Amino acid sequence: MLTIGQAASYLGVSLNTLRRWDESGKLTAVRKDGGTHRYYREKDLEVFASDLVKLARDWTNEGFELLAMFYCANSAVFQARLIKMQDALVKSSLSLNLLSLIVAVAGEIGNNSFDHNLGKWPDIPGVFFGYDIIKRQVVLADRGLGILSTLGRVRPSLKTHVDALRVAFTEIVSGRAPEERGNGLKFVRRVIAENPVSLFFRSGDAELRLKKDSGELIITRSPIDTRGCFAVIEY
Amino acid sequence: MRVELKKFGTTLISRQSGKEALAAFQSTITDIAPREIIEIDFDGVITFSPSWGDEFLTALLNKFGDRLVLLPTDNPSVRITIKLLEEINKKSFGLKLQQQRE
Repeated sequence: MLTIGQAASYLGVSLNTLRRWDESGKLTAVRKDGGTHRYYREKDLEVFASDLVKLARDWTNEGFELLAMFYCANSAVFQARLIKMQDALVKSSLSLNLLSLIVAVAGEIGNNSFDHNLGKWPDIPGVFFGYDIIKRQVVLADRGLGILSTLGRVRPSLKTHVDALRVAFTEIVSGRAPEERGNGLKFVRRVIAENPVSLFFRSGDAELRLKKDSGELIITRSPIDTRGCFAVIEY
Repeated sequence: MRVELKKFGTTLISRQSGKEALAAFQSTITDIAPREIIEIDFDGVITFSPSWGDEFLTALLNKFGDRLVLLPTDNPSVRITIKLLEEINKKSFGLKLQQQRE
């Protein structure tokens, strides 16, 4: 069993956060023989930290504190962790061709968050970036302005999140002013069209699904309104 | 002149690092003779993306035009990026990569 201090250090959050999460039931502590001190089973912490989709969603939608191990406050931290993921993938059984595409897709989505929100973050800067080599999953999220707002600067006629996602993933946006656009999401779509990779992407009240080995683009209204962008890559 | 991209790193993905690579390469550009061919060698690069490529390769393409030649590579992140950059810029890169792709 870990003490609350050890658990806080393991997850990279404060003691007060753990106390709050215990009271709300988000992460319940164990008490020994009716005592008042909080303890944690290491296995419980592992399970808690392994649900990347839930952790990222809770952060973007509800502003829950983020575990330090998944938080990239700036682009430099993101680049370093992306290279770490690449190193981990190189050591796994994944082919070099597929891993180069997974890293490039994650890099384009994460860098998009920084490129379009730098100096404009509404509250918390940075991205959530987590990956699970066993589950073959990468999760990225930000609390930025979202695709409609950032793309709207070069395409003022865009009115809905659904339209914004469609343009972001399909149309080459040429005008370089007022900001540079890397057309990275078009790259993401092309990679998925030809490879065993799938993507779920949500921004505002729109969500997009790209299925592996398919160029088909499925965009629908989402029941959840997402702050910024939220992406799950599976391979 | 042959430019080995791996000397800039094996993970070439962000605009920022693409800009830094181009800035570092500026000092070499002054040594290039007027008709010299500039070959881009992707050997050793693991991951490549449009953000980095747009900052570095598009800038070199605009400066050197036909004198810029991309050497063949099987890396799919390079190949998909190059094709996309050509469509975005409505310009083709030098021949070697294209011959292999066709």
